[in-house]
Amino acid sequence: MKLKVDFLSRGLLTLILAIAISSFTFAQRTITGTVTDAANGEPLISATVVVLGTSTGTITDFDGNYSLEVPADATQIEFSYTGYATSVLPLGADNVLNATLSAGALLDEIVVTGYGTQKAKEVTSAITSVKAEDFNQGNVQSPSQLLQGKVAGLNIARSGGNPNQAFQIRLRGVGTAGANASPLIVIDGVPGGTLQSVDPNDIASMDVLKDGSAAAIYGTRGAAGVIIITTKKGQAGTSKVDYNGFVSFDNRSNTVDVLSADEYRAFPGSSDQGSATDWFEELTRTGISHVHNLSLSGGSKSTTYRVSANYRDIQGVAIRTGFDRLNARMNLTQKALNDKLTLTANVSTTTENKDLGFDYAFRQATIYNPTSPVRDANRPEYDGYAQQILFDYYNPVAIMEQNINQEQVRTLTYNLRGSYELVDGLNFGLFFSEQKTSESDFTYFDKNDLWQGANRNGLAQLGDQEFSDQLFESTLTYDVDLDAGKTLKLLAGYSYQEFVNEGVFVTGGDFLTDAFTFNNISAAQDFANGLGSVGSYKNSNKLIAFFGRANLNIDDTYYVQGSIRREGSSKFGRDEQWGIFPGLSAGVVLTKLADIPAFDNLKLRAGYGVTGNPPVDSYLSQQRFGPTGNFFFNGAFTSSFGPISNANPNLRWERKTDISVGLDFSLMDYRLNGSVDFFDNTTSDLLLDFPVPSPPNLFGSTQLNIGEIKSTGLELAVDFAAVQNSGFTWNTGISWTSYLQNKLVSLSDSDAGFDFGGSRDISNLGAPGQNNTPLIRIEEGADIGQIWGLVYEGISGDGLWQFADTNGDGMPGENNDRAVIGSGLPTGQLGWNNSFTFGNFDANFFLRGTFGHDLVNTFRAFYEAPNQIGSYNILSSSDPALTDSPKFSSFHVESGNFLRLDNASIGYTLDLPDGSSFNKVRLYVTANNLFTITDYQGVDPEARLSDGNAGQFGPLSPGIDRRDTYFAVRSFSIGVNLGF
Amino acid sequence: MKKFVLIKMMVLTMCLAIVNQSCTDLDEELFSEVTADNFFQTDEEFISALGAAYTTLYGMYNTPGVIGAQEISSRHMVVPTRGQDWFDGGVWQRLHLQEWNAEDAAPNAAWGTLFGGVTTCNRLIFQFEQLNNPSTTPFLSELRGLRAIYYYWLLDMFGNVPIVTAFDVDASSITQSSRAEVYQFVESELTDALQNVTGAKDGSTYGRVNKDVINTALTKLYLNAEVYTGTAQWAKAAAAAQAVIGSGNYSLSGTYAENFKTDNSGSSEMIFAIPYDKVFAGGFVVVAQTLHYASQATYDLTFQPWNGWSTVEDFYNSYEEGDIRQAANHITGPQFSSGGVRLTDDGAEPFDIDGPPLTFTPEINELGPNACRQCGARVGKYEFALGATPNLDNDFPLFRYSDVVLMRAEALWRQNPADAEALDWVNQIRARAGLAPATEITAESLLDERGHELFMEGHARTDEIRFGVFTNAGFDKAEQEACKELFPLPQSEIDANANFTQNPCYN
Repeated sequence: MKLKVDFLSRGLLTLILAIAISSFTFAQRTITGTVTDAANGEPLISATVVVLGTSTGTITDFDGNYSLEVPADATQIEFSYTGYATSVLPLGADNVLNATLSAGALLDEIVVTGYGTQKAKEVTSAITSVKAEDFNQGNVQSPSQLLQGKVAGLNIARSGGNPNQAFQIRLRGVGTAGANASPLIVIDGVPGGTLQSVDPNDIASMDVLKDGSAAAIYGTRGAAGVIIITTKKGQAGTSKVDYNGFVSFDNRSNTVDVLSADEYRAFPGSSDQGSATDWFEELTRTGISHVHNLSLSGGSKSTTYRVSANYRDIQGVAIRTGFDRLNARMNLTQKALNDKLTLTANVSTTTENKDLGFDYAFRQATIYNPTSPVRDANRPEYDGYAQQILFDYYNPVAIMEQNINQEQVRTLTYNLRGSYELVDGLNFGLFFSEQKTSESDFTYFDKNDLWQGANRNGLAQLGDQEFSDQLFESTLTYDVDLDAGKTLKLLAGYSYQEFVNEGVFVTGGDFLTDAFTFNNISAAQDFANGLGSVGSYKNSNKLIAFFGRANLNIDDTYYVQGSIRREGSSKFGRDEQWGIFPGLSAGVVLTKLADIPAFDNLKLRAGYGVTGNPPVDSYLSQQRFGPTGNFFFNGAFTSSFGPISNANPNLRWERKTDISVGLDFSLMDYRLNGSVDFFDNTTSDLLLDFPVPSPPNLFGSTQLNIGEIKSTGLELAVDFAAVQNSGFTWNTGISWTSYLQNKLVSLSDSDAGFDFGGSRDISNLGAPGQNNTPLIRIEEGADIGQIWGLVYEGISGDGLWQFADTNGDGMPGENNDRAVIGSGLPTGQLGWNNSFTFGNFDANFFLRGTFGHDLVNTFRAFYEAPNQIGSYNILSSSDPALTDSPKFSSFHVESGNFLRLDNASIGYTLDLPDGSSFNKVRLYVTANNLFTITDYQGVDPEARLSDGNAGQFGPLSPGIDRRDTYFAVRSFSIGVNLGF
Repeated sequence: MKKFVLIKMMVLTMCLAIVNQSCTDLDEELFSEVTADNFFQTDEEFISALGAAYTTLYGMYNTPGVIGAQEISSRHMVVPTRGQDWFDGGVWQRLHLQEWNAEDAAPNAAWGTLFGGVTTCNRLIFQFEQLNNPSTTPFLSELRGLRAIYYYWLLDMFGNVPIVTAFDVDASSITQSSRAEVYQFVESELTDALQNVTGAKDGSTYGRVNKDVINTALTKLYLNAEVYTGTAQWAKAAAAAQAVIGSGNYSLSGTYAENFKTDNSGSSEMIFAIPYDKVFAGGFVVVAQTLHYASQATYDLTFQPWNGWSTVEDFYNSYEEGDIRQAANHITGPQFSSGGVRLTDDGAEPFDIDGPPLTFTPEINELGPNACRQCGARVGKYEFALGATPNLDNDFPLFRYSDVVLMRAEALWRQNPADAEALDWVNQIRARAGLAPATEITAESLLDERGHELFMEGHARTDEIRFGVFTNAGFDKAEQEACKELFPLPQSEIDANANFTQNPCYN
């Protein structure tokens, strides 16, 4: 498999280079003209004029005039101006081409809605469309980063700068407890895509379906929202080669503040090892990364194509971390049979090699004795690394350098779409797609690694997993003009998608030599004595759906959309497999009905939708048996079989209903455009691995449908073309989200006899010494994300913690004195973008902030107690007066409010001489995370949206900053955009 | 090989026009698991199904678990908080202080393990009854006997628990029974099982329920009947113990230690063992629970121990001079690597009694937060093999012959304090421990004898309650109310069952 993917990637790359080299020189001619406002004939200053489908272009001067050299074979010129409808005019023999543009451009922008597109003006639900030119810039490695902060209601967060860690994405707050909380990703029409398979450079637009009336067409997977990614396509005209590349330099921007060697030595009771080491310095480096994207696109009237190759070589700031990724993509469209038949093929492959390192080393760097040397030649048994024998305490540099933790991910996606126009307006479409993701994990712990390897005399772990799915869809669309000004669009479809997941794992230790690392697992002597372990699994599931949608447009004044999806999943009990998911929305353009002063456009919309969420695992409705251990029978062990979980034959869809109301507005001749949205989401029948009494149940929990979550919020998005001069332009855009309420209404079902009992405390703080210390309370009728613990009141004269007696029983600091001491979910989120052009310069800066969330600073909860100074380093914030053990309380809960300059960049576009083989050369520098304003004392104040230690309740336990957080990173990039 | 084939897709293209079966077929296909439809068919599968009722026992030594709750709540054991280690929300301190609450993992984990066993027995009884296969019918009485033993522990620890004997029941139909009712139930189930389970004692019954196991359980039930019901049953206890002794299947082994060595499955005292194994049946982790971090080098362990469970100083000092069990049960003094190098504690506190060289002292300076890291005699009763994993190979003696003879002695002594047979049994145990014969039995001497002989076998709490000393003051511990003799029902069970009443002390 590996060979095949690599072969395909490299083949595509070779093809691109070959075509690129062969297509450089063109004859040219010069076109001139004037661009004016259609309403009053006044010249439009700084309007953009480009040869369609190329980057050859210019802008108009103070009088609206332009002059543009175009290739001899250019056929169409595109004129655009902020706030105005874009116009494409054919280029004839005449060398003069004037254009008139009409205001209201944004209304005609194409919005991708799933199984089709709409013009912005027709949209009646809450959809935010972000085009490539508005994406975040700089050191971007994942498509998620392109959108971070750009879409009101969409929270995208990753704590720390681990290049291999995925972003957590939540739309409109927490809407599920135990099912999938991340939006559905749809890539070029394929639902359930992985973001890894798309390179950020290849994305043309990302459309976020935020409410149920829009997402209902995706039925059972729409509850967490939908992000539709559309990749760049070729356009008819001259072939075009683009190269984008940058080099970036990453440094750690923040770590927790610990005692230096001198401070440590001065602390009473410390254990001086005689050296001075800054463990953060030892564990980090300047990460130098480079990224290259080369694409070739073009086509004729009947064929268009775009092929691209992307290479990324990323170094993390932590030593031994990073990845390289090679991605290739080909999009091909062919028209035939008098343009009645359209065939589209997309192929994409990715091979990614990751050095994951060990996040555990960050915790060790925090507590490792700063007077210990890194190396100690007298310890050959540890490969010459300094080590001490203490609990849970290992030289962090040794952890990273002695051991290997790698992962290879390969994705292959391909799809083929055929669409045939049966009669005018009636189209029949067929779509087939297959996606495969293979993940291979390789870990080796050295024989002399005190942490893991020495225990097992060398330890190798291998894992190989494949996730694949096949999708088949057929659709029928019919567009009809009913009457003058009244149009109706109809869609009907059928979808069949089957998923198969499988994997193999092998672990074995006791090697004679480290020479093989993980490459020769049979050399592990563990297999001879039974201590090696192997495992494998395979599961599958199916989703089948019938869907339909109708869109009615009456005189561009009233818009109505209705959709319905009837979908079934094999994951449910036989009688509960099918669900119906309707969506209904309508909009009215008030400015068409009455003359509203100051408003160019004012549209009111409202929608209602039902969406679903399936459980993560298959087979939960069935009583399954598997190996559960071994049974000593007749003098030997025999495998014992027993149930794997409690079965729930009544398992059904998690069901979300939402109401969304919005207002779109345009002012100042469409220079100021914006929208306000209110949402009210209710999720019921939550899928949860719910505690049930045992007896009579076999296990203490069953996957149930139970309870209800409610979230409401307000979103505001405004874009303003503040200055539009020929020499200087300034566009600014703000997105703001207020999460008004996110409440766990209930987790009980009295009819079925399941009573949650009001509240439960989850998310254990953990070892050493703070097990049985839950951090989060989930409580019926209360907000989600309550941080729960004792209330700190100070430190007593003899150095013991003092906690409040909140229940007034005269016994302070008992379990029943715990109270709500914080809230893990953000209440507000801000994105503020500013872009400028000044002559050939362009500049952009983007500020992003998240507000209202608290964080449990677990570094402080563990490492501020001076009584451990003999063993561990402690934080600079430690109080020398404390003699007590570490005990979590409100003292360790901090506000996570922050405002960050996420990215800032300056670019310069070169004036190219006549006859240059380039048509665009732009150089730029970008800084990411230049500063973060926050009072938070941990590494990164970013909201933690779920906790891995909470099991099924993960999404209900936000706000915990665990000790393995990768260092926060600041990065500077230098890049170039070239067009040929 | 692949289920997905293009042909299948071609068929599906028809679906828009004709809604046929395959278009809406949502049957699940299983690959790496089985359902009852294709299992429970061969004798081998029946046996592996039966095994699930026993594998629950591997959880008895969990951290925390049933054995830990029995020992750490007694005057034998303590888990001090050493700096930041083992505070864990106070559960270990509260377990020692007998100040636990209904939300504490100790003792809640014990409830989970024991009812897990009960429910598995119920499921298998249900499934085997439905199968009605001659191969599985003998399993039914074995399962009922095992279920009664799980219930014996529930009776002992929680008292007022629900009696559930069916598998396909609704949660709402479950009601709580009184401790006396549970006692009646256990007695009648054990008595029934005694008629039907095998009387054999051979390789096929090792680690499984036979007549001797049932009789030992009956002995324990009757010996504590006064605690459970208010009415003593000393004669019945003596008779049940005699049934085990009279079987002739067991004898006191030559040395005390051989019952606890790594390969102890041949011990002549083993009545009911949990056949732990480092490969097949992990869970006996006392080596990790008790040893110091640096002790890894003493035994060349494949992991770093946790420096937790230690002996209460007074208990360590309660052995008579010359009792070989003191050195066998506890590890004290200077510690060395397997190569003979003196070990040091790299994190020794300034207040440590004898500085960084690793030395286990019986003295423990305090329960917490700053108990010294080397303080406390460690559990040495079970042999730690060189190169051991955290999962020991030693089998754990749930029921052991020397317990039976001491129970026989006690039952006789309770009826007649001058009973000669009772004194003879006690003196046989003392002789093996290297002690001179005693001339009389007192309550104190008998409890001490049991404590020294059965240390860390999971009987300490039950014994102390029977002798009326359980809630006395102890190391760093105040006297507690008598109602602490029962653990609370887990709060989650109280929440899930509206008709349950919490035990006294915990409302």
